[in-house]
Amino acid sequence: MHTNTKMTKNTKDARKSRQTYAVGALLVAAILGLSACGSEDASTTSVVEVSETGATKVSTVLDEPFAKPDLVLTDTEGKPYDLRKETKGKPTLIYFGYTNCPDVCPLTMNNIAVAKKEVSKKLPKSELANLRIVFVTTDPERDTPAELGKWLKGIDPEIVGLTGDFDKIQAGALELHISIAPPTKDENGKTVSEHGTQVIAFSPKTDAGYVLYDKSATVQDYEKDLPKLLKGAKP
Amino acid sequence: MVVAGGIVAGGLALTGCGSSDASGSSGSSAAELSVKAAYMPQPVTDSMAAGYLVIENKGGAADELTSVTSDLAQDVTVHETAGQAMKQVSALQVPAGGELVLRSGGSHLMFENLKRKPKEGETVSLRLNFIKSKAITVEMPVKSATYQPTTGH
Repeated sequence: MHTNTKMTKNTKDARKSRQTYAVGALLVAAILGLSACGSEDASTTSVVEVSETGATKVSTVLDEPFAKPDLVLTDTEGKPYDLRKETKGKPTLIYFGYTNCPDVCPLTMNNIAVAKKEVSKKLPKSELANLRIVFVTTDPERDTPAELGKWLKGIDPEIVGLTGDFDKIQAGALELHISIAPPTKDENGKTVSEHGTQVIAFSPKTDAGYVLYDKSATVQDYEKDLPKLLKGAKP
Repeated sequence: MVVAGGIVAGGLALTGCGSSDASGSSGSSAAELSVKAAYMPQPVTDSMAAGYLVIENKGGAADELTSVTSDLAQDVTVHETAGQAMKQVSALQVPAGGELVLRSGGSHLMFENLKRKPKEGETVSLRLNFIKSKAITVEMPVKSATYQPTTGH
């Protein structure tokens, strides 16, 4: 897109490209506070404002929780996985990302995995046994069940990895107000994928998604909240 | 001077949530670059890794980071994050009197097809190449997969 465009230093134009993107991601950004700092355009003001508050608040308890998407995808064993059925009545964390992502995706999943490990030292095993951590790929073409399995094994083999038809994944993500564009090829022929920026916690009591964590949530944030999330309580 | 617009925007947004524009770099003094806060989170597999650092420019002229080489991988690229997607860019500006911040969630170095899987406690050698300044060699420490620098924004 604009990355190879040679032009003189005109941040206005550059902002415009960012802004175009921002509009597409506005829904997500509005909830999450994406890294939109720097822009002063009126149309992105709301994003900036949220970003500012988001810096101190990594989680949001939803007034109107999200229903769990009715997704039947393929797990890392190549078997069908019915999200609603498999996670019914279980505390569940869902994240949308892809394995060829060096930055935010492994950090997010590692944060949760390490927090889980820490919590497991303090809580009885039975309390954590029901926890389901679900990683749904946004890049199903590259993230085959085998690739997903290999990657998740490096983080926490108990994480459920799901792949399948992109349109289905995209629709499921959208129900959670996560907008993800299909992977595209850049000018070098490299695949550019998108990841969600938040983790959604589903309550074991209602099966609804009631807490959002943005990408700045740390191990400590998850560690602090997990005991409550396991019970469906508000963190 | 010719720079890529998208890159400037990315760089500026990162350097500082409202830091001043780098266009005042008409001074005659050269860029004075130094690198700090470099780290690599221990990667999940040997297929890719990310690296972060801050390049500080105390000089009166801007410079651009154009390429990176490393002992860890043949393929090291500079990526900027635009919203939720990451894009390879050809250069990133280091503004005069400012800094180029590569950090988690923003622009970062991407290492692909690693020759080994770096472990926490090891270091990775990098060479940063610039348009004007001499190349800088960096010994980047490998931190835990969940490491987050305490300083910064």
